Amino acid sequence: MSQSKTINAKDIILKIAEIIISELKLEDITPETFNPDMDLVDELGIDSMDLTTVALVLQDEYGITIDEDDYPKLKSIRLIAEYIQNELNNKN
Amino acid sequence: MEVSDSISPLKAKESISNIKWKFSDLIADYEIRERWEKVRKYFFLRESTYDMSNRCNLRCDGCYYYEGEKQFAPENGNPEAWAKLMREEKARGITYVVLAGAEPSLNPNLLQVCYDEIPLGSIATNGFKRIPESVDYMIHISVWGNDNTSSRVRGAKNLLKKQIENYKGDPRAVFVFTFTRENINEVYEVIDIIAANYCKITFNMFSSPVGYTGSLRHNDESRALTRKAMMDLLGQYPDNVLFSPYSAISHTHSQSLHGLFSCSYPRMNPSTDIGLGRSFRQYRTNLSWDRSAACCVPDTDCADCRHYASGSAVVTARLYRHAVNPELFKSWLDYVDTYLSIWVRGYEKSKNLCDVMYAPPGYEL
Repeated sequence: MSQSKTINAKDIILKIAEIIISELKLEDITPETFNPDMDLVDELGIDSMDLTTVALVLQDEYGITIDEDDYPKLKSIRLIAEYIQNELNNKN
Repeated sequence: MEVSDSISPLKAKESISNIKWKFSDLIADYEIRERWEKVRKYFFLRESTYDMSNRCNLRCDGCYYYEGEKQFAPENGNPEAWAKLMREEKARGITYVVLAGAEPSLNPNLLQVCYDEIPLGSIATNGFKRIPESVDYMIHISVWGNDNTSSRVRGAKNLLKKQIENYKGDPRAVFVFTFTRENINEVYEVIDIIAANYCKITFNMFSSPVGYTGSLRHNDESRALTRKAMMDLLGQYPDNVLFSPYSAISHTHSQSLHGLFSCSYPRMNPSTDIGLGRSFRQYRTNLSWDRSAACCVPDTDCADCRHYASGSAVVTARLYRHAVNPELFKSWLDYVDTYLSIWVRGYEKSKNLCDVMYAPPGYEL
């Protein structure tokens, strides 16, 4: 997926939700119903290995690098979306 | 034994491609994807460790239990207190328990209590006293050399014979041979006996307790000889040895595990955001814990830590650093596949994907 143009924030949020649902094999939730402000660690119970997996998939999806040291910042879908948008802006 | 032969018959490579692969391309390979899917099912494991007794029926030179403050904690032998602790641990997300120090088999009723609450776990024992089958955890039986060495270093006569009597044919059991500077060649006779009795074995590296200056501490030569022995035996006893080339590299490197991978246990990791820094605790026998001392081998010198228990978490946690090219990712998958086969009941190790020794990210062999 080429990321040379600005991506709609809502689209990024939905895509991140879709990836998390797919990678973590979550049931009874859709990208549309996934609360983007839910704390992925405290409320969803995601652990470091899951987060790393999601980060690796997001790197591929958006053509960015997510530094290992930045993982603790990725506490919700909205924060991940902001991180990705920043990285894309810096890249462009 | 010549150190220069240390990696025969397998090959080694100092450097690998600098091309950074996409993760999706890595797992597009069928073999890699299959192994990735196999190991990732166990990403839910979240461990903590528990000292079950402050007593031991042996007294081994270099035992890290009898270092530091934890040895002085009184025993809480109340099964109800332990059951309550296990329920609380489960409630905070712990899915895996490691029951250790000093000798857990001396408190079998407490082991049963833990198993009844959290059914995934392992017990580190000297194997002198058999643990009841109803405690269906993995059982790691420590071996520190042949019987002469056991008599000298552990004060135990005919220990290997007794250990095998207790655990022969027991699917819970994995013998853990700890390489010291003094016992490297003994592994060959020990493994002959282990294999003849159809037992499984893996390898550990003696990791000095803080302040230890004794003769068991490894040096450059002993680490090289140990690496050779590990690789020899991995090739010679594929049905008995649970190990991988990357395990050999990671645990015999000149850098400690902390040096190579930045240890993620609380003692060396101040972050409480996610992972081990957030969830791991090391409980003493009085059910207290201390974040500043918490790791899987407390009172071990981090600069000399190459312990198998530490590596299982520390290497595994560095998925990101290994998902950069097929060779390194396969090495990491072999490492994780190995650790799961040692620590998880019913998990069967697959054939290693990588028979070549690759250096950890950012380092040479």
